[in-house]
Amino acid sequence: MKQEDLIKKWLDNSLNSQEFEAFKTLEAFDELTRLDNALQQFKPQDFESNTELEKLQFALKKRTKQQHKWLKPFIQIAAILAICVGFYYFTSNLETNFNTELAQKENILLPDNTTVKLNAKSALAFNNKNWKSSRAIDLTGEAYFKVSKGSKFTVHTSVGDISVLGTEFNIKDRDNLFEVVCYEGSVKVDYNKISRILKPGESFLVLDNKVVEKPKTKNTSPFWINNESNFKSMPYSQVLAEFERQYNVTFSVNDIDANEVFTGGFPHNNLDNALQAITIPLNLAFTKNNNKISLKRE
Amino acid sequence: MAKKLHENICDEIRFNALFKKHAKDLSNFLYYKFGDHLNPKDKTQDAFIKLWENCKKVAPDKAKSYLFTVANNLMLNEAKHHKVVLKHQQTKPKHHTNESPEFVMEEQEYMQKLQSALSSLTDAQRTAFMMNRVEGKRHKEIAELLGISTKAVEKRIYGALKKLREDIKEL
Repeated sequence: MKQEDLIKKWLDNSLNSQEFEAFKTLEAFDELTRLDNALQQFKPQDFESNTELEKLQFALKKRTKQQHKWLKPFIQIAAILAICVGFYYFTSNLETNFNTELAQKENILLPDNTTVKLNAKSALAFNNKNWKSSRAIDLTGEAYFKVSKGSKFTVHTSVGDISVLGTEFNIKDRDNLFEVVCYEGSVKVDYNKISRILKPGESFLVLDNKVVEKPKTKNTSPFWINNESNFKSMPYSQVLAEFERQYNVTFSVNDIDANEVFTGGFPHNNLDNALQAITIPLNLAFTKNNNKISLKRE
Repeated sequence: MAKKLHENICDEIRFNALFKKHAKDLSNFLYYKFGDHLNPKDKTQDAFIKLWENCKKVAPDKAKSYLFTVANNLMLNEAKHHKVVLKHQQTKPKHHTNESPEFVMEEQEYMQKLQSALSSLTDAQRTAFMMNRVEGKRHKEIAELLGISTKAVEKRIYGALKKLREDIKEL
């Protein structure tokens, strides 16, 4: 066999024993062995598959974390946008609120110069932003309106809606009592399925969910505007409720018929006078104890 | 055609198995071809990271050649201007030696000659030759790793040996 073939076979580690003997006798054998031994020193550094794999996994984990980093600023921007939009939406729909406490009255001037007087323990809310397109007000309690001329003006109460064009009227929406009195112009009242247009002096009264007819009034404004309360054939309970609102007191009542009809009034600025005004006509006696007043038959 | 068992290697277990199978060969291949100074281990890591990122696009049976190609390209980007130098490990001085100083010196000289002779081989020759000599890989295995024919491997290895012997004699 030729030297070249032997060397090639040696390179492929495929010499059989006979050939290996022949290979040993080759002139180049010593040289090749020396070369081969020397080459072993060029071995690469050991490659620890396991430690290298750990390194790789660590690098990959770090990388996936980094890949999510771009997401962070996007989320921040999105959050800020969401807050801005939410804030805008919230404020643009936010209603302007007015509340009065017990024994407190308030004058309010609406954006269109409509004046509203809010009686004690009442609340009024309207949307300032939408005011031009729709003049609408939410009301609980009692208020007197002087509506300036313009588009339809609507007052929503818990039981009915009142809409007008430009007029003066009073709304009283209390427990078991709903009363609208028109003083100037005309007022349209929608209560349940009843719809009625009130002319000056006319009023619409609902007592305990029943519509009650009332004679025309000649007053040009409600009494409470002038710090007085006035009642015409009203249940005594309503009188006491109004009294409590105006003076921030509570009544305890013994054996008195709360549905007894009362006609008369009381001032808002003098407690003793007011108490006399509501008790004497019915022959009642009162005793005062701080904010508690007890009523008894004489 | 038989249905493939796995569509891709986007699975930690399969990926890790792939790493254990090919990482060492790849690292050594890079070392033989480009030398030590470009850090073949790091390039091996980079190649596997790239494979992981593209795991959906690389079919399992193409993964090996993908790895070798990517690592090779990564190296080439850096290797352009470097001359390949294989480091021979420092032989530890023996505590007691019968070797004469002349012999030791001759030995050192020989190693230096061998080193420069290896450097002057072509990349293809050196890679195949070192795989064969240092790792004892047979021609067929090398042919598979490099994606060439057995005949070509044999040619490269024999050519390398011939050139080395000549160079060492001349130097």
